[in-house]
Formats: sequence, structure tokens, C-alpha cells
Amino acid sequence: MLTGGFSRRYTDGVREFEIAARTVRGVISAMDRLYPGLGEHLEEETSLAVNGVIHEVVYTQIIPADAEVFFIPRIEGG
Amino acid sequence: MLTNTKNIEQVFKSVGTSPIRPDGVPKVTGMAQYGADYSLPGMLWAKILRSPHAHARIRSINTSKAEALPGVKAVLTSADLPNQTFDYIGPERVAVNYWHMTRNVMAREKALYEGHAIAAVAATTAAIAAEAIALIEVDYEVLPHVIDVDEAMHPDAPVLFEDMITRGVEPAPTKPSNITKRLEFKVGDLDAGFAAADEIVEMSFKTAAVHQGYIEPHSCLARYGADGQCELWSASQGHFVVRAYTAKLLGMEIGNLVVHPAEIGGGFGGKTVVYVEPIAVALSRKTGHPVKIMMSREDVFKATGPTSGGSMTVKIGVKKDGTLVAADGVFKLQAGAFPGSPVMNAAMCAFAPYIIPNVRTVGFDVVSNRPKSAAYRAPGSPISAFGVESVLDILAQKIGMDPLRLRLKNAVKAGSPTPYGPKHSHDGYAETIQALLDHPEYNKPLGKNQGRGVASGFWFNGGGESTASIHINEDGSVVLATGSMDVGGSRASMALMAAETLGVPYASVRSTVADTASIGYNHVTGGSRVTYATGLAVVEACNKIIEQLRLRASIMWDVDVKGVVWEDGFAKPADKSVGEFEPLSLKAIAAKRAVTGGPIVTEAAVNAGGQAPGFSTQFCDVEVDPETGAVKILRFVAAQDVGRAIHPKYCEGQIHGGVVQGIGWALNEEYIYDKQGRLSNAGFLDYRIPVASDLPMIEAILVEVPNPNHPYGVKGVGEANIVPPMAAIANAIQRATGKRLTELPMSPPKVLAAIDAV
Repeated sequence: MLTGGFSRRYTDGVREFEIAARTVRGVISAMDRLYPGLGEHLEEETSLAVNGVIHEVVYTQIIPADAEVFFIPRIEGG
Repeated sequence: MLTNTKNIEQVFKSVGTSPIRPDGVPKVTGMAQYGADYSLPGMLWAKILRSPHAHARIRSINTSKAEALPGVKAVLTSADLPNQTFDYIGPERVAVNYWHMTRNVMAREKALYEGHAIAAVAATTAAIAAEAIALIEVDYEVLPHVIDVDEAMHPDAPVLFEDMITRGVEPAPTKPSNITKRLEFKVGDLDAGFAAADEIVEMSFKTAAVHQGYIEPHSCLARYGADGQCELWSASQGHFVVRAYTAKLLGMEIGNLVVHPAEIGGGFGGKTVVYVEPIAVALSRKTGHPVKIMMSREDVFKATGPTSGGSMTVKIGVKKDGTLVAADGVFKLQAGAFPGSPVMNAAMCAFAPYIIPNVRTVGFDVVSNRPKSAAYRAPGSPISAFGVESVLDILAQKIGMDPLRLRLKNAVKAGSPTPYGPKHSHDGYAETIQALLDHPEYNKPLGKNQGRGVASGFWFNGGGESTASIHINEDGSVVLATGSMDVGGSRASMALMAAETLGVPYASVRSTVADTASIGYNHVTGGSRVTYATGLAVVEACNKIIEQLRLRASIMWDVDVKGVVWEDGFAKPADKSVGEFEPLSLKAIAAKRAVTGGPIVTEAAVNAGGQAPGFSTQFCDVEVDPETGAVKILRFVAAQDVGRAIHPKYCEGQIHGGVVQGIGWALNEEYIYDKQGRLSNAGFLDYRIPVASDLPMIEAILVEVPNPNHPYGVKGVGEANIVPPMAAIANAIQRATGKRLTELPMSPPKVLAAIDAV
């Protein structure tokens, strides 16, 4: 799943996708096949929440079966 | 997976204690070395010429007279720095645009705020440098300026960038404006939600831009060698980021720049960017000498930070039983002279503590003629919380519900939705509310002109990249190095986690911060990430060193490594079948390091995820003087879910600090500009931050709902505590006076005007 702003910029407003993948790399690769060039934006601009738990984008992160993967804007603080 | 956190009782020997920090004695005896304390032979002093105008086109700069002054070795303008491609890079929330960054470090086409750096001089003494910058002749075309965020959004406002078209709007506008972007988050059906409400409150609020108020001005020392190798000593919240930005702005290879961390006298987010470092390096490159720059306090106020000022409208609908049904927030934040306010954070955090099925937040990032905003402790979240938590207080009164119970009824927990998409994955918020409900002072009656206010706050907390290295000294003591700048006592908390993991005394662990050439990459100390992420790296490094120690012991005993266990700081036989061996201490193993394989060292690196957010709920009692409008804080209680307090006293210190900064933001702090857009209160005498005599003791309640994703349950602590105070105080003032203040700061003249208003 993508936020509204990200989807408007990169996926013509489409926010939800069903992807078969076991790792974050698999998810990004699948998204990049759907929208060429999207993978780089996902890597550079987002963190992801896997079933609500926030992670940095790391290729080898395991994605559990039937997981909700939400790409959110990466966090910075003060 | 969704995680329901539970309070798990664990017994620790080091974690949870409060020993003296490694930097404590040096700091109180004046031996600690800050950015301004470094010097080198042959060093030059640099001064920066700053714009006297809030907005002006720079027609020309004549440096000839300055260059001719005896003692001047170089003069720098933007012509000496490579231009940068216009491109937003990285995450949208904090996208970096080096085209803007180089222009903030030194102006090119325009001066965009009073204090904007125009040129710099390096000379043999600071006095000569100061004299020289006065000789630089700048031909300005003074332009109309705009400061306030609402005024800057007006269609007729003076435009800072003639080609700035608002991003995030479809179709794109055809005219330039000062609105750099629009963003929106939305779930549910707002109209249906508000239609179901029994009570609706819609109100507008404004917050002032405030400075992070760190006591230490920015300083650095740069030495650029003839071989192209450069060293930089700088106080920052992230020397790896300083290296990256400085190298980029000067067209250098990152590997040719080593940044040494200096002690830092406060940052709070404001030292995650560069101001003087690229200038010092450029001057050193130009002169062949080391160059030192120290900002004055006036420079700090006129040319660094602050956090954004904001203007917002918040609308919330609630049912009579206290169920929140709809919420809408429009947040306009000023970014200063270049894009990049924390408006996305403000929009994401505003309603994040609450289960609300129909929510929309809209944000606008707006430029205006004041210094470029920088991060300030949970950037954006305190601003939107001021509006949201004030409206919740009004609604609580309308439906006759205790304000804490209203929050508790709607409090998020693990599995609850967020307004920005993914579900929450941790508990902790409800526990902070309950801690205040259970507080013996919460229901204590108050007197005349006194009132009690509550508010809550949310901050994401961070993870990210960290590296830790460990080596065992010959005497068995442990050296622990990370690349995380220590801004809040992290050297102590890293040492405590190392001591706990290794089973050794805290006093035997030397915790240091290594330079960029001596350890792997570490992201900034900010976002409340270090105790969590760097702590994970430390624990991983300790576990790796334990494996080495087991192996060395097995070699010493000439047994299989499977027969060796590590327990309470000793290698021991796993059972009697291994043999009769006395436990081996670190010292004993280290003494045999040469014959068992050499130095005992390791390193671990993480790109940490799994962090838990921070929740803080606070109540305060105030007394308002009806004659003067002065507000006195009588009591302030702040409950925060800290996960696990690795060093309880420093957790308390973080909470105290955030609350005090929130109090200053609420009651006193603001920038006062004259009609020419020049700052009138560029010093601590007139920019009023709270001092100890202004405040009572602040009671910090450490709520511990451990994060199961960290071996010690850590959650970030540094930021969530600054989010609630402004609204808590506004709510208390309202209860004391019957008057609702909607604009910060709530200084005596404003409070008095509200009291006296019919």
C-alpha cells in the first residue's frame, strides 16, 4: 500500500497492490515491474510498515504470508 | 506482525541504574572539548558578512578593499562554491535539495532573510576578519518582504522564488507563489463522520516560530591539506551527515573528508544541518591554513533554525459518549527562506494518538523571509498538537467528560489504525493516560485564578543505520565505540547495555564516539533513534564479542567451544564433562589474546527497524494573575512511555528538558521583527526562554511498556515530551480564566487582553 501523495506522484493514484513476494526485495522488484523506476523511489524515499511494525527498506527483510506492507514517508526527527 | 506489548518483569544488573555519565566530570570541570575549543598552529579566523535586509537582490559584491586589508588571507563568496543541481532528493518528508542548501550556506542571486550569509573572510585574527567584512561592498536591490505564514500565502505576497510552482496540486498552478507544496492524508468519509457527531468544534490557531535555544553557538575548525585531505572538527548531531553535506557542497569526495565529533552544547534538531562547515572548509582550501569559525549568539538567532511557525484550523466531531467520529486539520507551516518545514510530520502526528474512523489532514509548506527552518524536537508534532489538543479540551467540556477519560476512550493501541495508513503496532498510550488518572494530585482542588489542563502527544521515533565496535583492552576493560553523537547521555546508555550484555561492571566499559574514518556509518542523533538503533548495534557487537571470548577460552582450555558458556562476565565450563576449569574473566582471556589469535575486536552494523512510537500525556496546574496576565506554572506532571529506562535519570532529564522547552514555546518565545523584517530580539535577554527560577520541579513518570523488538525493551524518549505542553498550558489557562487563547506565545499582554475582552 502507498500513501496518497506517493501514489499520485508515481502510480497514477493507484494505492493498493497484491504482490507475491517473500522479501522486501521481492516486493520492490514486483512494484518496479509494474511501474519502471518506482523501485528506486521506494528505496530512497520510504520506510515500510510490515503489519504495522516500522522498518527501513532492507532487501532481505522477510515478509510474512498475507502481510500488509505499507510504504510510508521516511521519518526524520530533531 | 502486530505486537501487543506487555509489561515483562526482567531483572537487570546495569540496565535501569543511573551511574554518572562518561562525559560528566569533563563537562563540569571545563575539560570537555566543544567545537569552539579546538585550535591548530597557523590557524586563521573567519567572519561572515550577513545581509542587513530581509529580502534583496544581490546586484554585485566588491571584495577588493577587504582583500587588500593586511592580515586578510582570503575572501569567499558563492562564486567560490560549485552550483548544485535543482533536485529534491530523498524522502519527501525531509527531501534535501542541494540547490537550496548551497544558497542557504551562502547567498547567490538573493538575500532571503536578515542574517543570510553573503561573504566570508579568513584573516590572521578575529578582529582583522571583523574589520574586513565591513569593507565588503554589496549592491543590494531591496525588495518587499514577508514574514508571517498566512501573509506569505496571500496571492499578492512578495514572492521569494519567481519560478516556485506549488507541488502536490493537480492541475499545477500557473503562477508562482510562496507555497512550495501541498500534501494530504485521508481515511474514511469526513462528511458522514461529522454528520454523526453530537458536538463539533472548529477553531483556528497560530504558533510562533521558536529557536531550539541551544546554549552552544555553531563553531568549527577546518584543515584542508595540500594533498586534498581535509579534517573538520565540528559540534553537530551527526558528523557523518556533516561530512556528506560538506563534501557535496564543495564538490569533494566523501572519503577525502574526516569529521571529528566535538562535544555538543545542545542541538535539539538544530544541529543536523550545516552552516559554517562548508565555509570553513572552503576558506581553508583557499588559504592553505586551518580556519576556525564561531557564530555569535546574534548570528545563531538571525541565521539558524528555527522551527516553523504555524497557522492551522482544526475541526473535530464527537458523540455524547465521548467517541470521536471525525477530524479534519489544515496545517500551514512556514519553512523559512527555503522549502522544507516539518508539515508532513504535523499532518501525520496530529490525530495519531486517537482512533478516529474519518480523518483528513492537509498540509502546506510555505517559504517566507526568515531563516530556513530546521528540525526541533519532534518537528511538526507540537505545532499540530497545539490545535488538536485544545479542541479536544473544548469538546470534553461540551460533553461534560473528564479530558483524560475522553483521551482514554479513544486511545490507540496495537492494531489501531493510523491516519497515514499502517496500523499502530505497539501499546503504551493508554498507560500514560492511566498514570495521570492514578496520580494523587490530579483531582486535587485548585484555588482562585487557578486551572488544570491536560494534553497528549505522539512521536514516531526512529531506527536506521548505526555501527558499534568493541575491543577488549589488555587489562580486560572494554572499549565501546559508536558513531552516534552524544546529545543526551547516550554514551552512558550504550555502556549500560554493553555492561548488561557482557555481564561486566559499568565502570569497566569505556564508551566513546568515533570519527568518520574510524567507524562505519551512523545516521544522525535525532528522531529519538540512538538508544534504540545504536543500542541494537551495541548489543549485537557484544554478542559477537562473547562468541570470540568463548572461542578464546576454549583454546585456552583446549576444549570444544561448545563446552564453554558465557555467564555473568566469565567463561565457564558448560558442565562437569568439559573439565575442572576456573571461570575466566575478560582480564584473564585478554592476557592470553596473543597466543589465542590476537586482539579481541569486533564490529556490528544495523539498519534498524521495529522501533516503537513515543506517547506522552501531561497535566499542569497554572495560576493566572488577573492584573498582569502573567501565568505561573504551579505543577507539571509528564507521563511518558519510555519502553525501558536504560538510565532512568537521563530519561527523566529528557522529559524535563522537553517539557521546559514546551513551556517556553507556550508562554514566552517568539521572534519580534520590525517593519523592515529585521529581528529585534536576537539574544537571550529579549528572546525569553524559561530559566530554573521560572518553574517548579517537573514530575516525570516513566511508564514502561517494553518494546519486544529490542533486547532491553527500548523506546525512544527524547521527543514525545515536547508535544503536549503548549496545549496543556492553554487548556489550564482556559480553566483558570474562562478564556481560550489560540495564539502562541501566551505572553502576559495577550493573556491580559483575553481576560479583559468582553
